[in-house]
Amino acid sequence: MSRSARLMSVFAAAVLAAACATPENAPSTAASSGAVEVESCGKRLTFDGAPERVVALDQSSTETLLALGVGDRVVGTANLKTRVSPQYAEAYGRIPVLSPKVLTAEPLRAANPDLVVASFKELFTADRAGTRDELEQLGVPTFVSAVNCPDGETEPFERMFRDFTDLGRALGVSEQAGKLVADQRAVVDQARAAGEERPAGLKVVWVYSVYNGIPYVAGKSGMASHMSALAGVDNVFDDVDQEWPEVSWDEIAARGPDVVVIGDLSERGNPGDSAAEKLAMMREHPAVSQLPALRDGKVVELPGIEMDPSVRTVNALRTFTTRLDEITSRG
Amino acid sequence: MADRAGLLDPAVEPEVTPSSVAAPGSGGGRRVAVLLLSLLVLAVSLVAAVRVGLGGGMGWDEIGRAVGARLGLPVPPLPRLADSLIWDLRVPRVLLAALVGAALAVCGAALQSVTRNALADPYLLGVSSGASTGAVVVVLLGFAGSHLGMTGGAFLGALVSFALLVFLLRRRGLDSVRIVLTGVVVGQLFTAITSLILMSSGDADSTRALTHWLLGSLAPARWQSVVLCALACAVGLLVVWLHSPALDGFAFGADTATSLGVDVRTVRMVLLVTTSLLTAVAVAAVGAIGFVGLIVPHGVRFLVGPLHRVLLPLSAVVGATFLVWTDALARVAFAPLEVPVGVFTALLGVPLFLLILRKRGEL
Repeated sequence: MSRSARLMSVFAAAVLAAACATPENAPSTAASSGAVEVESCGKRLTFDGAPERVVALDQSSTETLLALGVGDRVVGTANLKTRVSPQYAEAYGRIPVLSPKVLTAEPLRAANPDLVVASFKELFTADRAGTRDELEQLGVPTFVSAVNCPDGETEPFERMFRDFTDLGRALGVSEQAGKLVADQRAVVDQARAAGEERPAGLKVVWVYSVYNGIPYVAGKSGMASHMSALAGVDNVFDDVDQEWPEVSWDEIAARGPDVVVIGDLSERGNPGDSAAEKLAMMREHPAVSQLPALRDGKVVELPGIEMDPSVRTVNALRTFTTRLDEITSRG
Repeated sequence: MADRAGLLDPAVEPEVTPSSVAAPGSGGGRRVAVLLLSLLVLAVSLVAAVRVGLGGGMGWDEIGRAVGARLGLPVPPLPRLADSLIWDLRVPRVLLAALVGAALAVCGAALQSVTRNALADPYLLGVSSGASTGAVVVVLLGFAGSHLGMTGGAFLGALVSFALLVFLLRRRGLDSVRIVLTGVVVGQLFTAITSLILMSSGDADSTRALTHWLLGSLAPARWQSVVLCALACAVGLLVVWLHSPALDGFAFGADTATSLGVDVRTVRMVLLVTTSLLTAVAVAAVGAIGFVGLIVPHGVRFLVGPLHRVLLPLSAVVGATFLVWTDALARVAFAPLEVPVGVFTALLGVPLFLLILRKRGEL
């Protein structure tokens, strides 16, 4: 009883002192020789040694870390959106899931990370994982993917490769990162080369998801638009400067796409998420069903997860260009 | 909504007469005891809530070390992140819950009397709708990343909506029905503007952020907002409390209040401004946490009667305790997921409210 009473008086005094109190352990990260410096979305991160306790705030960054072969150093993940790629499933299974959804500040700090990696800087707000400034003050570097931090000149795939390179340097696995970049860049270069040969003017619509009967398609600012440009075809909704804008079926029909790409989100499991269901919906729609693309089967099915930026996106690019080759050769 | 007129009845028990306003009866000693007891409960709740659901295998020992280190006690310091979990996140969160709970409960009690409406709560005058419009504008302008931006936007929005309310109320008498109706109109207007902005240019992410914020969450609590809310509460609660006699008078209508020597129009305006500013600070800090400002004053009135000199401080203490515990529940119920605390204030508040109404024979 006296113990808790003492604690309570301590607490009460602390409350009074709270307003002006700040933690005395201020940041003092003098860059020693041999320290690695990495620029990440407006913050300069300094690593005196390779991080040993990494927390990834979302699936995409978790898969990137697994592709870099540092899964054993990931002490937490969160916000799993869909099934992990089979090649990483085993390594993923060993990582503690700190939260099935967006991670908040308390469990993040309880995990005692020395690096936090995220795909979006929006995950670092006071009501989510805590701000980047707060974590910086605590000596925890925060890495945000360059894909969602555009500089206005670098292409999305190159920004993703920069992520791999930077994370590789920070984590001391530059060799593995270099190999990953080389492999993926080969796919991109191949797609670009094939795109330059392809006759211009082929119009493509990317139907990503259908929610409550309303289609969400690829706009200008996502990977799908970039992949279309690489492959030498036109994304018909490039005039909308959003990633996945919602449009109407009539508008899709009016834009007259020559090829229809359908996202398969069957792992998500909602009605209308599988590619087959989306195709059936289109075949029933009076205007969309009349598109030559649908009548002649010029349809490409892709896993929806691969249409978003991640280490798996090159798979979508590869499938997309291969199918385009088949379709155009048919005439 | 069958008995719309009945809802505008005075929010007091009928047996109270003006004479008891001037001279509180023999229940004074009991009321002080109740107040002291509830303060003790609040103090214990504050300490206990810091412990509830603390992650990372931490307990009293770590809390003692984190707090003790701040007081210069010779305790072994905690690892940096564990220390910041307790001192930078958990302690301010519990304190902010208490401050916001107190502010909302007192604003609700005051507005119930000013508007003579048992259904009045701090959001009746549209302050929260204005705040959400401000927040959504800030989010869409691209400052969503910084919480400060959203807080500032919400506060500005609340001020704008309140300015509009005062503008609409500028002429003629400030009678209670007019205040309520104007508040509802202003609230609806800003709700419509928010929907318009969201539908025309919002994406899924900003909509989700706003929905979460609208339900209210104490997750963004930091020392900065604690200090701000503490200052606002200190001034605001004192101003409202000093108007206790006038608030007692309002319960019997403007004429009775005037006959008791209350400058009805001025006092009403002072109270509207004070409660609105206080609500704006609370909403900007943690979103529109519902139900606290509605049920706590009713519950406290049920316990100690309608005299505002006692009702207001006790509402503050009970509101603080209520929100501290509902927030603790919101933290642990679906851990590690956090449920917006507004969900729990309603879930707990509805049965409590029904219970009170039934005991009072109004249901």
